[in-house]
Amino acid sequence: MDGYNFAYLDEQTKRMIHRALLKAVAIPGYQVPFGGREMPMPYGWGTGGVQLTASILGADDILKVIDQGADDTTNAVSIRHFFQRVAGVETTTATTAADVIQTRHRIPETPLRAGQILVFQVPIPEPLRFIEPSEQETRLMHALEEYGVMHVKLYEDIARYGHIATTYAYPVKVDGRYVMDPSPIPKFDNPKLDGNPALMLFGAGREKRLYAIPPYTPVESLDFEDHPFEIQRWEHSCALCGSDRSYLDEVITDDKGGRMFVCSDTDYCQTRRGDVA
Amino acid sequence: MTVKTEMTKDLVWPGLADPAHDSQRLFRQILGAMSEPGTLTTLALPAPPQAAPSDALGAALWGAVLTLCDLETRVWIAADLDSPALRQALTFHTGARITDDPVSADFALLTHESFDPQTPFALGSDTYPDRATTLLVVVERLANAGPSMLSGPGIETTRALDIGDSPGCRALKDRLAANRASFPRGLDMIFGCGAQLAAVPRSTRVDSREVN
Repeated sequence: MDGYNFAYLDEQTKRMIHRALLKAVAIPGYQVPFGGREMPMPYGWGTGGVQLTASILGADDILKVIDQGADDTTNAVSIRHFFQRVAGVETTTATTAADVIQTRHRIPETPLRAGQILVFQVPIPEPLRFIEPSEQETRLMHALEEYGVMHVKLYEDIARYGHIATTYAYPVKVDGRYVMDPSPIPKFDNPKLDGNPALMLFGAGREKRLYAIPPYTPVESLDFEDHPFEIQRWEHSCALCGSDRSYLDEVITDDKGGRMFVCSDTDYCQTRRGDVA
Repeated sequence: MTVKTEMTKDLVWPGLADPAHDSQRLFRQILGAMSEPGTLTTLALPAPPQAAPSDALGAALWGAVLTLCDLETRVWIAADLDSPALRQALTFHTGARITDDPVSADFALLTHESFDPQTPFALGSDTYPDRATTLLVVVERLANAGPSMLSGPGIETTRALDIGDSPGCRALKDRLAANRASFPRGLDMIFGCGAQLAAVPRSTRVDSREVN
């Protein structure tokens, strides 16, 4: 760790992020601007999440990093190596053993417990951005709780496809106040945001925003009375562990149309296979 | 010369022995307190000196100051806590700027006795509610008991929090209860009593049903 402060960031930066995190927790779902730093990885690779993790991580914490549910994909491996190198922390792939979990676009299948912190990597934190490009306007819309346009967007789905076609980054309302982008997690994971005993922190490095959902906070996915929110379902079970209740990835196995469905959460799948064997 | 050394030795305001790891540990405790309002946590660090009137601050709030304040923050100090020793220690250890104007303060140090609901702390704006003063308040006691029930984000059902019976403590509770009406603008409070710390952010509903 020679040449670096513990966990890479300098203490001044950590304190700035600490203060912003306290405000984010005090105003659940509100995007707090923060002085995002250049990290030794490009934007889009989780610089927001990495800065939050670096700010909260302690020497005795056990860290887990997942990318689309998997512990062994490029983004997860490189971020895990980064923190092994700059903080010397112990890492794990077991959801239950981790104190801090940094995630790209999934919430683990194994229920989280009180005391755990889940850090999300967020590309575009503003749920209204694709409807209203102006930051000044979206800020005002949040201030005035002017969220009707979000329902119009979902309604347009229904008008065009007969159902709500948004499948990821599905907008939620936090504690009945702020509409929030839960990051590009599949809407399958949205119910896990509601009343979760773990603290959930969201970091957007390029946009320099962070926000939070404290434990046990009501989080509802936006919907309509006659078109209630629904999660994805599969006709298949996981080809490896047989789970019929996890989020499945479709994997192409050859060039003759062969395919299989497997759990996206590798720890969940491997644990189940260990249990079964 | 010797006398002066003796004096400063008695009145030494402790800093963090291991800044990187101590501030991380203390921050996680404060983050836990803020994200689960009303839970009590004990901060382990040396207490500030017991020289009146600044003996009132206590180890927990001094730890919060050391963890959260630096040259980018402005701190407002209530008259009953204010002393040259505290100002010196604050400037020496954190580099924070001390302000007389509560509306410009990021953090305010006060006691339940000096709490005045009329003090114009920053509540943030509707578009930037995060630009609000965080109050660090010395209270009479901290216990998970009594008629004040907290609910809301961070609390599974309800949690009782007792900060004391003084008029100041009642005023603090009333001020917290008023946060809901102005949400998302409002005041977040961190309470300290000796080494014990608890926090109540503006998202918390405070229900003080007096039993009589």
